[in-house]
Amino acid sequence: MTETPKQRVWGRWVVLAAFLVGVYLFYVAKIPVIMPEVLLPAEEVFHLGGFPITNTLIALFFVDLIVFGIAFGVSRAVASGKQILGGISGAVEALIEMIYGMTEGTAGKWAKTIFPWFATIMLLVLVANWMEMIPGIETVGLIHTSEHGEFATQQIGPFLGIVKAEGEGGHALIPYVRVVSSDLNFTLAIAIVVVVMIQYYGIKSQGAAYFSKFWNVKTVFTKPIFGVIDFGVGLLEIVSEFSKVLSFAFRLFGNIFAGSVLLFVIGSLVPVFAQSIFYLLEFFVGAIQAFVFGLLATTFMAQATQGHGGEHHEEAHA
Amino acid sequence: MEAAAAKLIGAGLAMIGAIGAGAGIGIVASGAVQAMGRNPDATGTIQTNMILGIAFAEAVAIYCLVVALLILFVF
Repeated sequence: MTETPKQRVWGRWVVLAAFLVGVYLFYVAKIPVIMPEVLLPAEEVFHLGGFPITNTLIALFFVDLIVFGIAFGVSRAVASGKQILGGISGAVEALIEMIYGMTEGTAGKWAKTIFPWFATIMLLVLVANWMEMIPGIETVGLIHTSEHGEFATQQIGPFLGIVKAEGEGGHALIPYVRVVSSDLNFTLAIAIVVVVMIQYYGIKSQGAAYFSKFWNVKTVFTKPIFGVIDFGVGLLEIVSEFSKVLSFAFRLFGNIFAGSVLLFVIGSLVPVFAQSIFYLLEFFVGAIQAFVFGLLATTFMAQATQGHGGEHHEEAHA
Repeated sequence: MEAAAAKLIGAGLAMIGAIGAGAGIGIVASGAVQAMGRNPDATGTIQTNMILGIAFAEAVAIYCLVVALLILFVF
């Protein structure tokens, strides 16, 4: 609460002014609102020596910049020796504390090893998801000719305006920056890294015993029928490792992509005010999805380090 | 029937799967709230497990959503 009441009043006037400008543009000036063309794969913006640069890659660059900026800011704030960190540094401190407490609760003595994964995924995905909130992202971009686009440029008075295309063929908008979580490549990449690291920590903590989870022959000969069932369940575990990749990737991608489509649709139906309610929803969904991605990764890694047989044994120690 | 119309109907049918996920999330949240009411000290642990359960239930709805999006925008 460093801001004075005076500043807060100014903030309200800015919001009201922006709202009135929106009302004026839509209802008085009658500038049409067009729904952007929805495309599943990321669009190419330009080529860099034969390497296509997509708009989600540009977003990832900005996400990295923001995360680095936060990291440097927090490390400077910590080095300054203040007891109480303020602003973003304080928020990051609270976040890290919460994440570490949660990791300790699920992973026990492996918390120090697993915590960096949780924190990295959480920060990166959180910043990536919240980029959706910045005005201009996904709405400002190049206009290209497209088979089923709805845009066309046209001279309106002294300005170059955008109007709906008439008839067949038209123009579509390719945004300069598109939220990186709405690109399946990004989510799939994190998911593959996480699942590979789950196997790595499993082998590191249990050695060759980790593979008995998949090739379970311990009880085949000792228990008549249930041993065979255990063996079958072990084989199913292999399938479940692959389905983890899919469920990690599609959960984040589906939520964020559907969120941006929702914002497009609401924005084109009711251009004034209604969208801000859904911005609040997307703010919440972005935070929850980042948290869930990190938490699931932590839980699976902790499970891999504990193993099946020694579970009760370890719990007795903890 | 036109292919475009069939696409829209197909995407709508795919999203029927969200019913199960909705019911599942409701059951998870109801159980968690009851548990928190009985034992307020365990709220932290229950909340974490509740979010995990919700994430698993929600995954099914997300698969439906992905199928619907694929039908609409890819095929």
